[in-house]
Amino acid sequence: MRAALIDGKDIAARMRAENMAEAKELAAQGWQPRLVSISVGDTAAAELYVRNQQKTAENSGVEFEARNYPETISMEQLVGVLHGLNADPRVNGIIIQRPLPAHIPVKTLQKAVHPLKDVEGMHPASIGNIVYNDLALGPCTAVAAVEILKTLPLKLEGLDVTVIGHSEIVGKPIAFLLMGLGATVTVCHHMTRSVAMHSRAADAVFVAVGKPGLVTGDMLKPGAALIDIGINRVEGKTVGDADFDSCAEVAGWITPVPGGVGPVTVATLMKNAVLATRLQMAHYRAQYADTEV
Amino acid sequence: MTATIIDGKAFAAKVREQVAEHVARLKDENGLTPGLAVVLVGEDPASQVYVRSKGKQTVEVGMNSYEHKLPADTSEADLLALIDQLNKDQSVHGILVQLPLPGHLNSDLVINSIDPAKDVDGFHISNVGLLGTGQKSMVPCTPLGCLMMLRDHHGSLSGMNAVVVGRSNIVGKPMAQLLLGDSCTVTIAHSRTKDLAAVCRSADILVAAVGRPEMIPGDWVKPGATVIDVGINRIERDGKNKLVGDVEFASAAEVAGAITPVPGGVGPMTIACLLANTLTACCRANGLSEPKGLTA
Repeated sequence: MRAALIDGKDIAARMRAENMAEAKELAAQGWQPRLVSISVGDTAAAELYVRNQQKTAENSGVEFEARNYPETISMEQLVGVLHGLNADPRVNGIIIQRPLPAHIPVKTLQKAVHPLKDVEGMHPASIGNIVYNDLALGPCTAVAAVEILKTLPLKLEGLDVTVIGHSEIVGKPIAFLLMGLGATVTVCHHMTRSVAMHSRAADAVFVAVGKPGLVTGDMLKPGAALIDIGINRVEGKTVGDADFDSCAEVAGWITPVPGGVGPVTVATLMKNAVLATRLQMAHYRAQYADTEV
Repeated sequence: MTATIIDGKAFAAKVREQVAEHVARLKDENGLTPGLAVVLVGEDPASQVYVRSKGKQTVEVGMNSYEHKLPADTSEADLLALIDQLNKDQSVHGILVQLPLPGHLNSDLVINSIDPAKDVDGFHISNVGLLGTGQKSMVPCTPLGCLMMLRDHHGSLSGMNAVVVGRSNIVGKPMAQLLLGDSCTVTIAHSRTKDLAAVCRSADILVAAVGRPEMIPGDWVKPGATVIDVGINRIERDGKNKLVGDVEFASAAEVAGAITPVPGGVGPMTIACLLANTLTACCRANGLSEPKGLTA
């Protein structure tokens, strides 16, 4: 193996320490960051994920409340709950856990979260801000993947990047974040004629498709960075979208799965929680607490 | 010259005709007349020409046109109050605030005060985000016009390599989103791109939107490619004022399969799409199905 392994756990640990320091500073001013997680119905699928978020929150100085509502709750009731959380100054961020029952479309809930409390970066206004290069609260996985690239000794301006997968929450926002940073971005997807042609031309490749083994070593330019966002279960093992062994022979840097993008994503959620708290504090002060006369 | 010239003027006329047919049907069947409100602040001469031309075409397709001309020193509060009133007015389905605004007004705040459902320019931050996440939105007029021309010429765009040169909020970025929506493999190139010529040469569809006169020569164009030139640049040549695009037309037309001229290409499509967006907004506001072929 010639690629350097990118240690997502290490990057996440650094981010947690920064978040912790900032959260303490906010708490000292009376603004203790606090997240509320909402899950609905059978939580088995999301439980591990929520527990992991809770643990990271504790290590980041962020309070975390996990709420579970019964499967029978109506859409209207749940939107009412969100409006209550939007109005509650003790709540700084709202997480909507998936999967949701069929009668509750996730997009409706995402739109009901106040943009200042949208720590998952899923509100249309949050995405719109990303497209317009005004990076406030971005979608966590996309931001995490880009943060990882930023830790490498590569100049982002003019960097040729290929993003494989054009999902709304990962592929597309990655493309817009990188474009804002000056990279030349190509977005590939299932209709692309030759993904290899594009990936082989790239200095950095992001893959987020959900297909194990999709990217192989012969699809990479020697020395390129490979950021693997896929999480797949294969024969009881967690693997990414890249064929790790062959890619590691060719790439200059590679993220492992697990231990790559995953931990940085949860740390980014906490970073968003701290940032959201700061934005709300500023908003509150500008609205109500301007004591200058 | 080998390229087919894509006649934007004729195509825009066809779009306006379709809009007019839909408008007539809305009147007959639903008793509705789509209405477009255009707000102009100050006396910028170019803006006055645009606003007049928009008003004229709005009336020609049978829609109501409401023009609001405000003095250059209008306060932000007064402008926001007008927008609020237009947001609530059920006879107004589209609101367009002509840009640029005088310097003392915050354009972002003003645009984001428009009801997103009436934002026929597609510049409201929520519409940008909705387009960015592949949801129903109001789509900016110029890229929508380009998409319509491409669909008309090619039928399906699926699997084609598209290169968008320029990453502006008004054209480049939404254009990239729309091409992705139609399943193109999309590259967004810009001033920081290392080998722009090579990137352009890989394109089956090349959209130029940078605002630099004749920056893209014919030898940057892949033989047979479709070239959409969004640039409109005023230059002086042989002592005469001339309009040229971002693409060097004569040399590109030797190589391309199809190309839009400047003027008479993308330009005329912009107002036609504004009318299409107003019609779409009216249909959505009244729970009616959207006009076919006139939306993204």
